[in-house]
Amino acid sequence: MSDLLLMLSAIAVPVVSGIAVGLIKMNAKAQKALVLSACALTAVITGVNAAADTGASHVVLSVVGPLELTLCTDGVSKIFSIIAVVMWLLAAVFSQSYMRHESKDTHPRYYAFLLVSLGMTLGMDFAGDMITAYLFYELITLTTFPLVLHSMRPEAIRAAKKYLFYSVAGGFMALFGIFFCYNNCSTLAFTAGGSLLPQGGTGIMLVAVFVAILGFGAKAGSYPLHGWLPTAHPEAPAPASALLSGVIAKAGVLAIIRIVFYVVGADLIAGTWVQYAWTGVALLTVFMGSMMAYREKLFKKRLAYSTVSQISYVLLGLSLLNFGGVTGALLHVIFHAVIKCGLFLVAGAIICKTGLTNIDDYTGIGKRMPVTLWCFTICSLALIGIPPLSGFVSKWYLASASLAEYPGALGWICVAVLLVSALLTAGYLLPVTVRGFFPGNDYKTGERCEADAYMLVPLIILAVAAALLGIFIPDQLRSLVYAIAGAVAL
Amino acid sequence: MGENFFYNYEEVAAILLFGIGFTTLVFHRNLIKKIIGMNIMDTAIYLFLASMGYIDGGTAPIIDGAETYINPIPSGLVLTGIVVSVSVSAIMLALTVRLYGRYHTLNLDYIYMYAQKEHE
Amino acid sequence: MKDIVFDFPLFTIILPLLGAVICSVAGKKVSKYVYFAVSLICAALSVPVLLYTLENGYFTRAMGHFAAPFGNEIRVGTAEVLFTLLAVLLPALSVLGGKRRLMEDISEKKINFYFVMLCLLQSAITALAYTNDLFTAYVFIEISTLTSCGLLMIRQIGRTTVAAVRYMIFNLLGSGFVLMGICMLYDLTGYLSMSYIKEAVADIAATGKYTVPLTAAVGLIVIGIGMKSGMFPFHLWMPDTYSTSTTASACILSGLVSKGYIFLLIKIIYRVIGFDVMEGTGVPLVIFVFGLAGMIVGSLGAIRENEIRRMIAYSSAAQIGYIYMGIGIGGPAAQAAVAAAVFHIFTHALTKPLLFISASGLSQASGGEVKFAALQGSAHRNPIAGAAFTVGALSMVGMPGFAGFISKLLFAQAAVASDNRAIITLSVLAISTILNAIYFLRTTMRIYLPSAEPRQNTSVYKNGTAFVFACAVLTAFNVFLGMHSQPILDMINAGIETLA
Repeated sequence: MSDLLLMLSAIAVPVVSGIAVGLIKMNAKAQKALVLSACALTAVITGVNAAADTGASHVVLSVVGPLELTLCTDGVSKIFSIIAVVMWLLAAVFSQSYMRHESKDTHPRYYAFLLVSLGMTLGMDFAGDMITAYLFYELITLTTFPLVLHSMRPEAIRAAKKYLFYSVAGGFMALFGIFFCYNNCSTLAFTAGGSLLPQGGTGIMLVAVFVAILGFGAKAGSYPLHGWLPTAHPEAPAPASALLSGVIAKAGVLAIIRIVFYVVGADLIAGTWVQYAWTGVALLTVFMGSMMAYREKLFKKRLAYSTVSQISYVLLGLSLLNFGGVTGALLHVIFHAVIKCGLFLVAGAIICKTGLTNIDDYTGIGKRMPVTLWCFTICSLALIGIPPLSGFVSKWYLASASLAEYPGALGWICVAVLLVSALLTAGYLLPVTVRGFFPGNDYKTGERCEADAYMLVPLIILAVAAALLGIFIPDQLRSLVYAIAGAVAL
Repeated sequence: MGENFFYNYEEVAAILLFGIGFTTLVFHRNLIKKIIGMNIMDTAIYLFLASMGYIDGGTAPIIDGAETYINPIPSGLVLTGIVVSVSVSAIMLALTVRLYGRYHTLNLDYIYMYAQKEHE
Repeated sequence: MKDIVFDFPLFTIILPLLGAVICSVAGKKVSKYVYFAVSLICAALSVPVLLYTLENGYFTRAMGHFAAPFGNEIRVGTAEVLFTLLAVLLPALSVLGGKRRLMEDISEKKINFYFVMLCLLQSAITALAYTNDLFTAYVFIEISTLTSCGLLMIRQIGRTTVAAVRYMIFNLLGSGFVLMGICMLYDLTGYLSMSYIKEAVADIAATGKYTVPLTAAVGLIVIGIGMKSGMFPFHLWMPDTYSTSTTASACILSGLVSKGYIFLLIKIIYRVIGFDVMEGTGVPLVIFVFGLAGMIVGSLGAIRENEIRRMIAYSSAAQIGYIYMGIGIGGPAAQAAVAAAVFHIFTHALTKPLLFISASGLSQASGGEVKFAALQGSAHRNPIAGAAFTVGALSMVGMPGFAGFISKLLFAQAAVASDNRAIITLSVLAISTILNAIYFLRTTMRIYLPSAEPRQNTSVYKNGTAFVFACAVLTAFNVFLGMHSQPILDMINAGIETLA
């Protein structure tokens, strides 16, 4: 019973405080106190919940017939919820400084939707069956969409419209898949290994699962529904972009994990055209995302394309369906969240302090904002996959798992794509560092405008985490990931 | 089938009248003609009803010791229908009067046009 | 004490008639209070009837001294009582929501006539739900046609009168067809009482002699009711009617009157003709195809519209298409599909008035404009109406958590259970959901974006308490149906089983 209370309060605290911030007029100090304390309290509650050893699912509300809203904390929930609250707390701290250069009228709206979307994300993390997950998935779309719309510029409006339509279309495709799962699985509640009925392994079921993967992949930025991500993520304020790329895109990944591994079971699609098609789509997105990032000149848009590519690393790992693949995917979820948040917060710091958005203008930025750029460098190295930083660990798992799963040519193609993408990642991230620290002789030094404490502390935390998480994975985390992979992978 | 047409000539006439009334209601542009068409359509249905109530050799359904009577129910139905038809005609004519007073034409196409124009 | 429950349905039919008589001689205020009193009393009377039928099934009551088939009778089951509750509460909520517009649009001396029409309409729809006699149903169909035309005409601007003429022409065509079909059925079977007609029809169908007249009669009734309720391709009267009438009338017409006819059609299909015989005539296939076409064409029409009320009216045409699709699916899933259709009747009847009321609130906050360009940003000028419109729009699109999602889910389940029509039903459901999303989400965004030109006064529009109350109650019903619909669904299923 107590874990139900913990989960409900973890969802309720941010939602209630978000509504309070949005509707009640308060001065800046009170607003800051409310936002930070709400995030901190939610983090504490979620931490306690994750530490507790539970797995029981609780029915919250009975909707119609066998449809019920259930909440449950299992291993996957713990990982995703901890990532969510930590990133949100860091983003909220960062926002205190970042939002100072935006007009005060927009603050309540921004913080309100920031907090409410945290509640919705936690709701999806704690969902115990597919219908609850779908409900919170759609609510995440609805509550993050105003964050994209924040600046109200025509480009932001167009980006928000695109986000809404792609997400809603993806949601309906996913609903199609869920519907067939409902008819062919004994229950929609999450059970490791799935609960497919014996007569459910038909062709149309494969189509339904594939459509659901593509539909949920819309939020994760996977081809073919990726078109909204590069336009929408840059339009939001930088802390919100960090969350969108780092955590909310993972909501799509979480939904795919749930439906493939916990509702249908990996057995259904192992070895079928669905697995090959999924791997192919993931490879295509990995390559395409990195390629587009390499050619993009706007900094935030470059990072958004990078998100498209990196999340498909995760999807590639999941599509392998084996132990190494799932482990690599889950580890990359954690590492990428940390790294991408760091990268976007750096972008926010630079844009906030200097107003520069184009990569070509970033020469010599290292002289002006050294600490910020050092954090950027560490995160980039981690993303590229330089050992012993964190990104290397997850990529190693992915590469070895793909060789294990596809012994023939396809395995080598996977490794090749991973390598080329790593090279492209270096190509689009390292020039910023190089040109930032070594601007050349004909550069006039600008004045130092280092980011302030509110911005620097989250950045440093994220950079250190990006560097060390690979080597010093906490034991609980390691055993948790292994347990999950062992339970669901083939 | 041919002999059925002759045998049930009242029903056939009723259906023909129904068709005439229906097409008048739909295709004519003049409002008064539409109302007339509607009345013809309703009257055709009453003919249909009344003719099906007739039984050969029966007299009017007032008890006075005859052998057989015709079916009294259709007559009741026709009476109800006439009341309905009168009310509907009254409303349609009231609408026509109001429309004429405003747009000075009975042609429904022109009325649509004028109404569209004054909305722009 | 229990016996008095048997008389309550008759009271709910007679009491509004009495109320109409009082309203016709009373002034503005008194007639309003009389109408609300009548509504509340009828609702209070219907609740014990509902509880009784949930326990004991249906009961019949003879009207007059002769029992059926020689006399008239009413038959009261769970589905009928639920529909009556809807018919009693919905006009009251609509009048509350549209009260300000009502007082503005209608001249002072005529407001009591509005309530006369409303009482008569309520009595007619209640009688349509309860009656067990086919010709009585026709009489009350005509009464509801005339009174709904009265609700339209009472606003005396030119466009409304033109819309009323168009509405009446379609309805008269429909009535003519219905009456012809009823007369043919009487000719074939010799009965006017519904249950007796069913036995006779079953006998006729077994002998196979009169198949063509039977098909003709059934087809005429279906087409007639379809014309009156907005089935494709007879939905063309809807945009003009719902966009030019006063808000309360638009809510009542779209939410209640069309649904009353459809409920009667369901009763006729199950209680007069019997579904097996219907399948034999092939008419359900026509209903199904027209329903599918209506879903798509209605949404396409809505996308092209530039005024908010016409857009909502086209959306009504699409939703009526959903209901007809559910009625026409047939096959092994017929009962589940009809249950889904009846659930959608309730969903739509609660959502469409919410949309119309909030749209009128938004346009009043924007100086009476209805075109989208003027409504941009109106949700900031009238936050309550904006929130209510968002709830209604999300429910129409089918967001989980709202009633529309549950009804779409029920339709999809029924479609999957019917073997040969599953694929096309599911694909048209998907397409129409996407089309719905396009125009509803676009409009919701538009009302929240800040307007292009700066406006002189940016003060928030003050709504009346009645408006806020109506929006709140309708939203609460919607969310309740969306989150906890199992009890209602059970009642509907129980009602449909005893409908035959």
